Order: sequence, then structure tokens, then C-alpha cells
Amino acid sequence: MKAFRALSRTKLYWGLLIICLIGALASPHSSSGMNIFLSYGNLTDVLRQVSITGLVATGMTMVILLGGIDLSVGSVMGFSTIICAMLLTKSGWTAASIMGVPAATAVSFFAVAFLARFVFSGLARGRDDSAGRRREIALGPWRSMRIPALLGFVAAAAVAWFTVSQVPTKFGVLGVLLVTPCVALLLGSLNGLLIVAGRLQPFIATLAMMVSALGIGRLTAGQDHAVVAVYTGTNATEAFEVLRSMLWGVVPMPSVFFLAAIVLFGAILRFTTFGRYAYAIGGNVEAAKLSGIKVAQVQFTAYLLSGLLAGIAGVLFVAQYRQGKPDAGAGLELDAIAAVVIGGTSLMGGRGGLSGTFVGVLIFGLLSDILQLQNIDSNVQLVMKGLIIVCTVLVQEQNLGQLVARWRFRSSPEAGAEVRSVEPNRPLSAPRAQFAREDLDEAS
Amino acid sequence: MREMADPQGASPMETRSDVPGRREARPDATAVGVGGRIRRGTKSDPVVLAAEHVSKSFAGVTALRDVDFDLRRGEVHALMGENGAGKSTLMKILAGVHTRYEGVIQLEGHPASFGGVRDAEGAGVAIIHQELNLVPELSVADNIFLGREPLIAGTLIDGRRIVRAAELLLRRLGVAIDPRSRIAELRIGEQQLVEIAKALSLDARILIMDEPTSALSSSECETLFKIVWQLADDGVAIIYTSHRIEEVLELADRVTVLRDGRRVLTAPIGELSRGAIISAMVGREMAANHRGTAAKNGAVILTVRDLTLDTLSSRGWRRALHGVNFQLQQGEILGIGGLLGSGRTEILESIFGVARGWRGGEIAIDGCVVDIESSADACRLGVALVTEDRKERGLHLAESICNNVALPSIGAMSRFGLRAFARESALADDVVRRLSVRCAGIYQVVSTLSGGNQQKIVIGKWLATEPRILLLDEPTRGIDVGAKQEIYELIFKLAEQGLGIVVVTSEMPELLLLSDQVLVMCEGHQTGLLQRGIATQETVMRLAAPGMATHSWDTPS
Repeated sequence: MKAFRALSRTKLYWGLLIICLIGALASPHSSSGMNIFLSYGNLTDVLRQVSITGLVATGMTMVILLGGIDLSVGSVMGFSTIICAMLLTKSGWTAASIMGVPAATAVSFFAVAFLARFVFSGLARGRDDSAGRRREIALGPWRSMRIPALLGFVAAAAVAWFTVSQVPTKFGVLGVLLVTPCVALLLGSLNGLLIVAGRLQPFIATLAMMVSALGIGRLTAGQDHAVVAVYTGTNATEAFEVLRSMLWGVVPMPSVFFLAAIVLFGAILRFTTFGRYAYAIGGNVEAAKLSGIKVAQVQFTAYLLSGLLAGIAGVLFVAQYRQGKPDAGAGLELDAIAAVVIGGTSLMGGRGGLSGTFVGVLIFGLLSDILQLQNIDSNVQLVMKGLIIVCTVLVQEQNLGQLVARWRFRSSPEAGAEVRSVEPNRPLSAPRAQFAREDLDEAS
Repeated sequence: MREMADPQGASPMETRSDVPGRREARPDATAVGVGGRIRRGTKSDPVVLAAEHVSKSFAGVTALRDVDFDLRRGEVHALMGENGAGKSTLMKILAGVHTRYEGVIQLEGHPASFGGVRDAEGAGVAIIHQELNLVPELSVADNIFLGREPLIAGTLIDGRRIVRAAELLLRRLGVAIDPRSRIAELRIGEQQLVEIAKALSLDARILIMDEPTSALSSSECETLFKIVWQLADDGVAIIYTSHRIEEVLELADRVTVLRDGRRVLTAPIGELSRGAIISAMVGREMAANHRGTAAKNGAVILTVRDLTLDTLSSRGWRRALHGVNFQLQQGEILGIGGLLGSGRTEILESIFGVARGWRGGEIAIDGCVVDIESSADACRLGVALVTEDRKERGLHLAESICNNVALPSIGAMSRFGLRAFARESALADDVVRRLSVRCAGIYQVVSTLSGGNQQKIVIGKWLATEPRILLLDEPTRGIDVGAKQEIYELIFKLAEQGLGIVVVTSEMPELLLLSDQVLVMCEGHQTGLLQRGIATQETVMRLAAPGMATHSWDTPS
């Protein structure tokens, strides 16, 4: 029974293993007799292909853990591809740089100020935690924010100088990697603001953002260029190629971002108070609020991070497909949600985690890879995807042990005898209660 | 009127003789009643429902062990026991909720086995669960006939007929509820009555009521009792559970006590005393609680001045609190009494910074006026609130004891946002030991604990933050007698350690037992602030009754 429970707990990983086995067995062989599915190139390709969905799914996991949902990630990602592609290919003050430079400046100010404040309060608390608590009350928010704000100004000035200096020429890799996620982060934080301060339902707020971000993307790109092509070496810097190369010839660059995000945010969920609060809020908002947790702060942060990760995914998309287009992320949000759900995170919030999402994303990627190797029609692939979602969630949600117990019970001989019904002609010795059926008749 | 017995346990005859109303209708426990009506539940009445040698176990845990139970026509049979004694299991078996068990159920002398709740309802057995099964957005009438609507031409719902039938049912119950009003607009007591009407519309001859009074005020209880007696006089057999012993002594004809899944006692109420029931339930004589000498040392820790609260409802702004004033010293226990909805909970929520609406007046902690905007502020200032509804608002049921206990403290224990796992589990260990929580370990999931132990976890998670002011809202609701005593002892101990404690409670004996001062609320007004010794059941009841709100009666403090 113990072994069975262990099996049930790790069923997701077994699912991944089974898919790998199927892939290996069904895979065609190359002329030299090598198994194509298991070849290094194929596996790294899968990892590369899932990276964009994976990054978005990482942010989505945190939002869903809080009991929310972020439908806007696809559009925000598409918008970021436009920003990124335009920065790379167009010099001077274009719509992208007009938005990007202030965004990066503002975000770097807040990010550095917040980080500094965080570190200072940690240092102060380190000396004596009760005194640390008292200090927080004693110092008003403005006095304790002075030095962090100063540091923030310094950082903002540096970023502003750096980005403005890139505007006349075209943006480099570093510039793009800095500016694009900042713009997406601002859109994510707008989501958060609508939900936290405006008290909108997450579904509604992010739906509005999903629609409008697509519009903003098209407006930014201009009517006639729905697609901004990026030819590295011709109309953009050669260095941008680095984002589609292999890191040290081993791991594809996009996957490095994806794996780093999984590890970083997995650690945040596991080891920090933020993670604990996220689970607590997802599990029971009311109890969390009454436990002194700043629910609004945590929710806001989650949507902000979801936007940030969508922005990074946008840059990787441009590197991968050599173009930016407003509808680059059409349907991406649903893929991400599907991956999160397959990974065992409950849409009600409070249950699940990033390791599951990682596996969920991989299952999706491996499946489409297997089907492609078999030359199966892409429309059939969509149907298979749907089936996989239903099957995995069925297995995830139902406790396997319960399923087996029910089956065992049904097949046992005495079970059938239990269901007897009351004798229909029992004597009515007790007087009926006065309020009986005749009430109905009387009323009519 | 609900009977408020002396917590130390009065003799049964005294207890019963103060009950007005009831005795006139049913003068003696042994004699033939007035008007030729036979006393209910005598041996001459036929047994309508009986359980013989019933056992039931859940996944290896035995909930009921060879239990015999019989219910006679027209009697109110109270089923008592601590949480986990098997009351709910037995009731659910009788009502057809659980369909697998060992033993036999006899319905009017014939063995019967219900295939489900529908079967049981068809046979005239209806159950009213503690958590009401009503659809809040539908009208009273629609709820009563939900799923059994009379139809016009077999398709359309006959709305007029439903309303008229519901009206008749409600009128016969003697309650003035408009059958067209939505359930959500009704108070919880009225909703309970709608559930009863629904059971009656099912033509129920056996009515099973699971803790119907746990959410009712005294006057609502009174109405309910009258209806229960009326039903019993009409020949309906009623199984009734409650944690309130006084209530059972007043209401029931016979009592069956379960302990650890076994029946330990069945006897007519006349042969029992409060003490006998308690000792049968817990298996030992309860030591009476006595408040030690007041530990208050004169330092005022909390001052509330002219506290007002305006809340916005669908009908516009409403003043929920009209100027509440009190002072709380270190080591002092302030009890807040009053009917449900009189503004008791709102006082606590206003102090804790989580009341919905606009707050007016001043709150001072240690003499400094503070502005508590959120629960996080309250935590930092050393104020803790143990909420009334522990499952919805107090606990994360699916998480471990450790996670629940540490939740309000992890912010203070962390450094650079990193959790201190060792300190968290040490904290949980400490709470479990100090409050003697019965559990398998600190990683046990909270939903598997009994009600009393869950309550200890909620209190414990706040004690772990080292508060100086503890606000308790109905700390003993829905927990069994033994756990109640432990909670009382804990409250006394905390007061001795110098905490200022504010307790809201609906149970009068508990209020008088715990409080150094009693603040009485009525319809949002503070109608009295009584010192210990001056506060008696009578004075508190009088101040809490509506209609007295115009003048207040304070004892000089």
C-alpha cells in the first residue's frame, strides 16, 4: 500500500517516463540506424520549442496558485515581440523606443529602490528581530525609504543614460533584454492594479488586457507592417544571434532562460515568505487576510511577474522566429494554462507547484515532437493535445487509490446486497404530520 | 426562553422548574398531560424508528460500535456526545446518507434499508443538517419546493401555487416570513425555520435536527423550541442534537448519550441532571472552573472611545455601532454579550482593522491612539483576533498544523524574505505542547483534527505572535464539553499572564464565568457595562433585549 501511495504521488513523473518510452519505441530510425527521438539534437530541439510556453507557464503557475488567472500573457508576449523587433531594426525615436525608455527607467527605479529597502530591512532585522519589528513601526515609510529611493534614482539615471545612448543607433542585445521585459512588466502590473485596487475579477481584468494589448501591439507596429522582420547581420545586430545559439554548445539559449526561471521561482515558492503567502492566499483568502498577510501586495506581485516573464518570452520569440508580430502569442495563454493544469496545479488555487508545471510543459513538447516525427497531421495533433489534457487531469484530480478502492468494492460479492429499498406497503401507524400534501391541494 | 443554568451544575429539578411556558403545556414528566394529551415518549407510544446493533467504520476507524437506538412517536429524543462520539454518523445512517453499515434499521417495526436520502424522505424521515441546504438566491417558497415544484400542464412551474402552499406551511409554523423573500435576505434563524418548513412539506414523520440552535440567538431558539414541541404534540418524532446541555434539559423527553461510538446512556430527561449528562459524555466528572483571583494590575492596555461603524449594504448606509466605550486592563477579561447581529462581532473586527465600512471614534493601545487599517497593522501592534468561523476564516484546512500555526509569524521570523523552517516547526511544536493539542504530529493536516483541537490551533497561531490583546469571537462554538473546559482554563491562564482579553459569546453561563466586565450590546448600541458580581443572567438578558436601546445602564468602574 505504501509503495502504491508513493506511485500515486509521483504519477506525473511516471507519465513523463511513459511518454518518453512511447517516443523512443515509436521513433523512426535514421539511415545510420540511430533512434531519432533519442538523438541529442531532437531532445534539445524539444527543450528549445517548449521554452517560450514554459516561461509564460511559470508566471501563470504563480497567478493560478493565488486563485487567479492571467489571460493577457499571449497578447503581452506578442506586444513584446513588436517592441523587441522594432528596437532591434529601427534607429531613432520610434513608438517602441518612446515607450521603452521611460518604462525601463521607471521600472529600474522601483526595482532598485525596492531591493535596497528589502536588503536594509533584512539587515536591520538580523540584529534583533523584535527590535526590527519595532523599527519598522517607528520609522515612517518616508524616512525609511530615503536611502533606497536615492539608490533607485542612481539606477534609473544609469538606465536612462544607457538606453537613450542606444536610441540613435539600433538597440543591442543587452538593451533589448533590459527594455522589453520592463514594458511587459508594466502591463502586468496594470493587470495587478486593476485586480487589487479596482477589485475586478482576474478573468475580466486580464481579458480586457488581452484584447487591448493586441491593439496596442498593432498600433505600435503601424498599420502596414503587421510583421516586423528581423534579419540579424542585415537590419539588426549580429550579436542577437546569441539568443538562438547553444550555450557552450550544450543547452539551447532559450531553455537556459526557461530552466533558470523554473529554478528561481521554484525556490521562491518553496523557501520564501512570498511563496508561503501565495499558497496561503490561494488556499483561503479570508483566513490569509485575517492572519495579517498583505494579500493585495502578493497578488500584485504575481501579476507583475507574470507580465515580466511574458516579456522575456517575447524577446526569445523574436530570436527564434526572426520576426515580431502582434499576434505572436495567439493561444499561448491557453497552452500555458493547460501546461499548468496538467502539472497538477489546482485552478482553485493553493495547491500545486512549479515542478509539476515543468513536467506539464515537457509532456506537451514531447507529445508534439513524437507526432511530428510520425508525420501526423497538425490538426490531429490538436485533437491529441485535447485528449492529453483530459486524461492527465482525470488522473491528477482523482486519487488513484480511491479509484482502485471503488473498483475493488464494486467487484466484491456482498456489495450488491446493500442496495435494498424500503418496502412500499409499510403500515402507517403513526399519524401523519398535519402539514402534509394536502397543503398543496388546499393552496390550489 | 432559553434556560441559562449555573455552569457549576444545578440539580435537575431546580433547572427544570425555572422554565416558563414549557411546564404549563407539559406539567410533569410522569403524569398524563393537560387536555387529555398523553405525555410524549412513554413506553406506550409505538417505536417508529429503531437502530439495532448498528456499527459503522470509516477506512478502518470505527465510528459506531453496536449501537441500539429507538425513537418513539411524538417524542423529542436528544442525541448527545462529544465531537467524534458518533452522533452525526448515527443520524446520517438513520437519514439514509450513509447506506453501508452493519446492523438493522427498523422503520415502524419493519426492517428497512434506505438506498439514499431520497428513499428516506419517501419513507417520512427528513434531516436538517447543521450547514443549511438552501439556495440563497432563490425565494423561500422556491426553496421549500425545490425539485418538487407543482407544474402547470407538466412543464411550467406553478409559481402562485408554490407561494400559497409555502405561506400556509409557514403560517402553521407560526412564523412571519414572506415566502417571496430571498433566502439571502433572511437571518440565519429564519433560514432554519425555512428548512423545517421544507422538511414538513416532505410529509416528514421523523425529523432529525443536527445542532439547529448553534447559530441562533436566544429569542430565535425560543421560537424554534415552540415549533419543535408543537410538532411533537402532532406526533412527529424528533431526533435532536446540541452541544448546549441546558437546551437539551429544557427541550428533550429522552436523552441518549454516545461516547467513542458506543451508547453509554438512554434515559428519560426527568432522571438526569446536567452533571450526569456531562459525566456520561466525557466519562468522568468535570471539575468546575473557577476564575482565580483577578490578575489585572491596573495598567490600561486598550481604550475604545465612541467607536462607531457605518456599513454599506444594499439598502444604503447603516450604522452598525453607535458609540462603544470601554477600557481593558492587563490581565482582564471583558465579555461582550448580546443577541446575534447586535454588533458584537463588529466591535472586534473594528479593533482588528478588518471591519467593512467606515469606522469612527478612537482606539488607543497603551494610551497611544492608533490607526489600525489592516490586520497586518493589528498584528504588529500586538492585537490578535480569533474569528468565529474557524473553518472559513481561521484556518487553512488543507494544510498542516505547522503551516497554520506559523502563518501569522513567518513574516517576523524571516530574514531577507527567506523562511526559517526550523523556527517555524519549533513554534508549532511549542504551541501543540502548550495547548495540549491532540494530534499525530505537527505535520498532520488540520482538517483531520476534531473541532476543539482545531480551535486550539487557531488560538495557538495567534499566541505564537505574542499578542498583548486577544480578541476571541465565540471561542467555544461547536466544540465539545471537555474541550470547552480546556479553552476556559487556557483563557484564564492567558489573563494571568497579563494579556488583555475580549470575548464575544452567545452562551450566558460562559459569559458570566469568563468575564471580569460584561459589555452588553443591543442593536448596535452599548446598553450596559457591568462589573463582575453585578452582572447576572437576568440583568444581561434584560439589557440585551431589543427595546431597551434608548437608555444605557453603566456601573461606575
